[in-house]
Amino acid sequence: MNNNKSKRALLSGSALALMGAMLTPAVSSAADGETLIQEKCLLCHTQTGDPEAPFSRISQQRKTPEGWQMTINRMQRLNGLVISHEETQAVIKYLSDTQGLAPSETAPHRYVLEQKPNVVEDVDPAYAEMCARCHSNARFGLQRRTLGEWQLHVNTHMAINPTTELHALARDRSWYDIAYNDVAPKLATDYAFNDPAWANWQKMAKPDLTGSWSVAGFMPGKGDYSATLTVTETAKDNFSLTLQGHYVDGKKLQGSGSAKVFAGYEWRASLAVDGVKMRQVMAASEDGSAMTGRMYQSAHDEIGGEVTAVAGKAVVALSPAAIKQGQLQKITIIGSGLKGSVSLGDGVQVVKVLSRDADRVVVLARASATASVGLRNVAVGSAKANAQLAVYDAVASIQVTPNESIARVGGNGGKLPKVKSSYRALAFSAGKDGQPGTEDDMRLGYMPAQWSLQPFDEVAEHDKDLQFAGSIDSSGVFTPGDAGLNHERKFSTNNVGNLKVVAKVMDGDNAVESDAHLLVTVPTFIKRAIQ
Amino acid sequence: MKHLKSFNKKAKMLDQATSQNEVEEVVAMQSVVGCTSTNDPGWEVDPFGGLGSLCQPMESDLYGCADACWWPAQVPDTMSQYPEWSKDVAKANEDWRKLDGIFPEEQK
Repeated sequence: MNNNKSKRALLSGSALALMGAMLTPAVSSAADGETLIQEKCLLCHTQTGDPEAPFSRISQQRKTPEGWQMTINRMQRLNGLVISHEETQAVIKYLSDTQGLAPSETAPHRYVLEQKPNVVEDVDPAYAEMCARCHSNARFGLQRRTLGEWQLHVNTHMAINPTTELHALARDRSWYDIAYNDVAPKLATDYAFNDPAWANWQKMAKPDLTGSWSVAGFMPGKGDYSATLTVTETAKDNFSLTLQGHYVDGKKLQGSGSAKVFAGYEWRASLAVDGVKMRQVMAASEDGSAMTGRMYQSAHDEIGGEVTAVAGKAVVALSPAAIKQGQLQKITIIGSGLKGSVSLGDGVQVVKVLSRDADRVVVLARASATASVGLRNVAVGSAKANAQLAVYDAVASIQVTPNESIARVGGNGGKLPKVKSSYRALAFSAGKDGQPGTEDDMRLGYMPAQWSLQPFDEVAEHDKDLQFAGSIDSSGVFTPGDAGLNHERKFSTNNVGNLKVVAKVMDGDNAVESDAHLLVTVPTFIKRAIQ
Repeated sequence: MKHLKSFNKKAKMLDQATSQNEVEEVVAMQSVVGCTSTNDPGWEVDPFGGLGSLCQPMESDLYGCADACWWPAQVPDTMSQYPEWSKDVAKANEDWRKLDGIFPEEQK
């Protein structure tokens, strides 16, 4: 502890001396990430003398903005780093831009940056047994290190979490030898520091993200929405934004905020939408024609949904995206520049245009009883179509998404909030073979469903999980039970439960049902930017 | 494991429920991102994909495991990273409302 104190005193002293000697505002400017690294990090790290990799350890790693954020947080927590919020932001920005990840390198693991809940990863067994049994595959899959750095990473784990060697899957084998000599070299190959993807991306022109974007998205409890996102650059890679549009039921959506872009494509926005603080995490496509990702509530990141922004005149999405033979139905066409006549394809007549706004056209459409089953291109004037309308004969099956999920008890006077989970019913028709569950099934998009809960198994039934674990509302949002011991339960157990979430979609008089697995479980006391 | 005998009621039930081969098959089961299931017991999920083999209620023996960083990505350890975490909460089963989370990440 004394050593830490001396180190901190030394740090402050030398930083002040440096500032005094140079007497330039730039030295203390939060905008200069490289200078800040020299000021803040080189008290422990060293200069290598190599201009290509100037700082020990730091220069041998590449990470996402969230990855660098976690590193700085750990340095604060365990190594006595003293750094302000503004300085942290500047260092994250500098390192993400100069030692970041290319779009192709983040593509496999974007869900974790987007804070998407209820993802089950497909993990290489070597990593599942070693790394991904405590945290996600994405946490290390979004890092690039030299072999030496991956090996030091193993040592850091041993230093911080020494009982790692005693866990199941570790204590019955030579954990350290395997981690250091087998897994670290595999990581250095699979997640190589010198992957040419980053060098190539650094050379490429970066997309211009200013201007007007047509946005389509989904928000649990509210449904599909359409909006126009207007982006103005306020400083390099800093933007102000407005979001104006409609939920599918016609209610207005209005938001504004600011955004930063890292590594030329990583869009991170903080905004308030109808008074609720939200975050957007999106990736711009390399050509700048689209941004895709997720928008979610800042205080409840599990409450959110996918979002797509397309530049220029375009049809971005349909809500709903399917119409049944012989059916009269309201369809919202989401996009921008949607001027001119609406065409929904052969056999689908536009009975009436109900409304037109900057972000959408709402039409009443009728599919003829003899319209052929299949996908139709949609056009509004000259706007290009990025979405297709499915004409179907019957809903043959549905999938409840997510298929595996958790919710966490919370509240009840404690400091941790409840973590909810939300569900949607994705419908399919059977295709030409008439058999659901085969390759020629046609995806019909999400459909409204009636939601209910059942015990998952006999144990859950015996323990009355249904009575204690929580409830689901009509829009498919599950709210878990209260935190704490429940003396009405055996052993005063928590309000955990093993449940089935059941969806029933009505197709005329025919009910189509499916279910998904929900574990209502205990809170997590640690939350990282990358879980 | 074949030389070990189940001692208590729960262990006997586990023996009856699954063969050793089945246990080995499910040990490396993947769970939802953010959960840990493979430690024994897991934090949110047990190795069988359920809740039956977890410590419940979790407050009763929380520190016995968490202090020694048994679930390092889910529960603060007082041994290494968060020595102060449970300082004012001597009995988690009585004062669990005082336990705070570690959410140190700053919003960008």
